[in-house]
Amino acid sequence: MLAYTIRRLALFVPMIAGIVVVTFGIMLLLPGDPAIVLLGEDSSPQALIDIRAALGLDRPWYIRLMFYFGDLAQGDMGRSIFQNQPVADAIGSRIGATLELALLALLIAIVLGITLGVAAALWRGTLIDTAAMLFAQLGVSMPVFWLGILLMLLFAVQLGWLPSIGRGDPLLEAIGAAATGRPGPLFNSLAHLAMPALTLGLNSAAVISRLVRSTMLETLNQDFIRTAHAKGLGVSRVILVHGLRNALLPIVSVIGLRFGALLGGAVLTENIFGWPGLGQLAVASISQRDIPLVQGIVLSFALMFALVNLIVDLFYTVIDPRIRLE
Amino acid sequence: MRISSALFGAAVVLTAAIANPPSSLADVIRLGADVDAGTLDPRVQRDTTAYRVNNLLYDGLVQLNADLTPVANLAVEWENPEPTVWVFKLREGVKFHDGSDFTAEDVVYTFETILDPELKARFRSLYTPISKIEAVDPLTVRIELSEPYAPLFSYLDLGIVPKAYVEGGGDLSINPIGTGPMKLASWERGSKIVLEPFDDYWGGKAKADGFEFVVVADNTSRAQAFEAGDLDIIQSPLSPQDIQRLAERDDIGKSVMGGVGITYLNFNTAAEPLTDPAMRRALAMLVDQDTIANGIYEGVDQPASSILLPSSWAYADAIKQPGFDPDGAKTALADLGWTDSDNDGVLDKDGQPLTIEISTHSEDPNRIQAVEFIQATFKQNGVDATVSIADWPAFFPSVQSGQHQIALLGWLNIVDPDRLMFAQFGTGGTQNYGNYSNAEVDALLQTGRSSIALPDRIDAYRKAATILAEEVPYYVISYQGYQVFHGKDVDLQPDVRGMMRSAIGY
Repeated sequence: MLAYTIRRLALFVPMIAGIVVVTFGIMLLLPGDPAIVLLGEDSSPQALIDIRAALGLDRPWYIRLMFYFGDLAQGDMGRSIFQNQPVADAIGSRIGATLELALLALLIAIVLGITLGVAAALWRGTLIDTAAMLFAQLGVSMPVFWLGILLMLLFAVQLGWLPSIGRGDPLLEAIGAAATGRPGPLFNSLAHLAMPALTLGLNSAAVISRLVRSTMLETLNQDFIRTAHAKGLGVSRVILVHGLRNALLPIVSVIGLRFGALLGGAVLTENIFGWPGLGQLAVASISQRDIPLVQGIVLSFALMFALVNLIVDLFYTVIDPRIRLE
Repeated sequence: MRISSALFGAAVVLTAAIANPPSSLADVIRLGADVDAGTLDPRVQRDTTAYRVNNLLYDGLVQLNADLTPVANLAVEWENPEPTVWVFKLREGVKFHDGSDFTAEDVVYTFETILDPELKARFRSLYTPISKIEAVDPLTVRIELSEPYAPLFSYLDLGIVPKAYVEGGGDLSINPIGTGPMKLASWERGSKIVLEPFDDYWGGKAKADGFEFVVVADNTSRAQAFEAGDLDIIQSPLSPQDIQRLAERDDIGKSVMGGVGITYLNFNTAAEPLTDPAMRRALAMLVDQDTIANGIYEGVDQPASSILLPSSWAYADAIKQPGFDPDGAKTALADLGWTDSDNDGVLDKDGQPLTIEISTHSEDPNRIQAVEFIQATFKQNGVDATVSIADWPAFFPSVQSGQHQIALLGWLNIVDPDRLMFAQFGTGGTQNYGNYSNAEVDALLQTGRSSIALPDRIDAYRKAATILAEEVPYYVISYQGYQVFHGKDVDLQPDVRGMMRSAIGY
C-alpha cells in the first residue's frame, strides 16, 4: 500500500502541470488587463506600459509560463499583483478557514446523509421514508446562496442564536484549548461554523442520503442478510455491520467526489457569511485578473481534492479487504 | 435522555456565550464593507473601503464636511496672495502614529510623490495643476498653480504621509502611518480591518474603543448581519429590498439621501450612427428613466434631469435632458430618414437596419436589468438593439478605447462639478471615452475650473450643462442615492461619501 501511495503521489506532478497550463490558458484567453484594474480608469498609456513591464506581463506567454514552472519547482508560487504579498502567504493565511469549513460540511453531509438514507431504506414506504426523501429533494434543489440567507434570517436575525458573519477562533486551536479545559473558544468556533457548514453540507447530505437509500435497499435484499438474520444476529448488527458496510463502497467514492462540490460551494458560502477563506479570495482575484493568485488558488483546490480522493481510495481497502491496491 | 440533556446543556452554554460578548468589545464600532481595501496608502488608494479607512487613519490639509465644504484640518488657516498661489499655515504639535513630528516637509513630500508619474497614483490628474509646492518654514507650505484651479480645495483632503517613514522603507500600503484619530491594529486580508484609537491625536481621544471594517461581499447578508446586531453600521451599496425594509424601522438610525454619484449612458460620439446629436437625442427619448429609477432601483435612485447633481451648488432644475417620449423619438428618427420601409418592425435607412449595441458590466445585476429594459424599449420602437455584458476587467477597456456604441456606467465621488465634466467632456480629456468635442464646452469647463468667484463657476457649469443636455454625449439616467443605517447607540452625522469620522466623535 505504501508503494501504491507513493505512485499516486508521483502522479500529482503531471496533474499539477496540466492544471497550471489549463488555468494559465483560460486566464490568457479572458479579456481584461490587470494593469488597468490596478491603475484605474484614467491611467496614461505610458504608466500601463511601465507597470506591465514591472509585473512581467509584457513577456510572451510561453516565457511567462516557463518562468512560472521554474519558480514552482522551487516551491515559489509567485507574488500576488494586488495583495502585495507572496501567493503562498495569501493562500496560507486562508486555507485553514476553507478546510475547516469544507471538512465540517463533509462531516455533516456524511452523518446526516447516511442516517437519513439508512432510515429511509429500513422503513421503506413509510412516513419516515417520504420525509427523508422530501428532505433530499429539497436539499438537492435549494441553491447555496438562498439557503444561506434563509438560515441567517432564522438563526441570526429572528432567533439571535448564532452570529451571522465571520469566523470565530480557528477550530484546531479551539479543540486544543478545549482539551486543556477551556471550552469557550470551541463554542465560539462552532457557533460561527454552524450556519456556513450546514449551508454548504446540506446539498451533499441530500445527494448522499439518496444514494445510501438505494444501495442499502439493494444490499438488504441479498442472501447474506437473510443468512445473518437466520443466524440470530441482532438487528442492529445485521444492518450496520452486514448491511451498511457492504453498501458503503459506492458511497465512499461519491463522498470523495462530493468534496470537489464542497470546495466549489465554499466560494458562494464564504461570500454570504463573510468567511475569510480561499473562496472569497478566488472571486476577488479572478475579477482583478490577478493571474499568479488565481493559479495558486486553483492549484490548492486541486491538491486538496486529489488528496481527499487518495485518502478515499486508501479507505477502500479498510472497508473491503478483498480490494488490493496495485 | 442522557444525550438530549447534554445537548441541551451545550446549547444553553452556547447561547450564553454568544449573547454576552465580553464587555471590552462593547464600544468597538463595526461597519459592514462590501470589499476589502487594496492598499492603505492614501496616495494610491483605489477602492471605497480604502478611501473610508484612510479617512480615519490620515488627516488632509483640509477635511470635507458632510456638506462637502472644506474646513481646517492639518492646515489651520490659508491665504491666497495671488490667484495662483496658496499659502497654508500648519497645525503645531501634530504627531504621526509612529511618534514622529508632522512638518511642512511631509506635506511637500505627499504632493510631490503623488504628482510623480513613477508612483502611478490613480488620482494624480486631480493635482496636476499644482506646478510647485515648497516648505517655507516647518509650519508653512506654499502651493503654486499653473492656472487658477477652483476645485483644488475639494481634493486637499488627501491624507498626508510621513516622509521619513516612507523614505526609510516603510510600506504604507500594508503598514499605514498617518496623523489621524485611529491607527491600524490588525488587518485580516479579505475579512476585516481593525483600527484602534491613536492616543496622541491632536484633536483629543476618539469616542470609541475601536473601529472595524468587516468585509461581507453579499449585500443581503450584510443587511442581515446588521439586523442580527453583528454590525453597527451599513451603508450603500445595498439592495433596494433591504433598504425598504430597514427604512421602515424606527429603532435604528437611518439616512436615505441624494448621493454624489450618477448612473449614465455613455454615447460614443465617434461611432456611427451616434455621431449626429439629433440621433443621440432621439435614442435618449427612448430611455424610460422613471421605470429604471423606480422599478429597477425601487426609488432608491432619483431620475436625473441633467449632468448637475441636486446636491451641488451648480444645480438648476430648469436644465433638462430629453425626457421619455417614444412618439417624439419616432418623429425625430423619421426626420433623420429612419423609417420601417420593409415592414419588418425594424427601422431602416438606405436598406440598412438601425442596430445599436448597449453594453455594461456583469458585477451589478441592477445595471444588467437596466440595460435589458432599455433594449426592450428600443426594440418596441423599431431600434434593433443588442446587449453585451462582460465582467469589469473586460468591459471597461473596451469603453476606454472607444469600442462601444452605448455603455451604461456610473461615476462616484463627484465632490465638484469639475470632477464629472472636465476630463469627461473636454476635447481629448483623459476620461472622454465617447470622444465628445465641442469648443464652446471646452471654454466653459476651463472657465469653471479657473474662476475663483462661485457665481462665475455656477454660470459656466450651467451653460455647459445646457449644451450637454442638448447634444447628449451622456444621458444621465439617475442620481444615485446614498443610504446609511446604524444602531441608535452610534452617533453618526451622515456623509454622502460614506466617511465615518462623526461616528467616533469628530
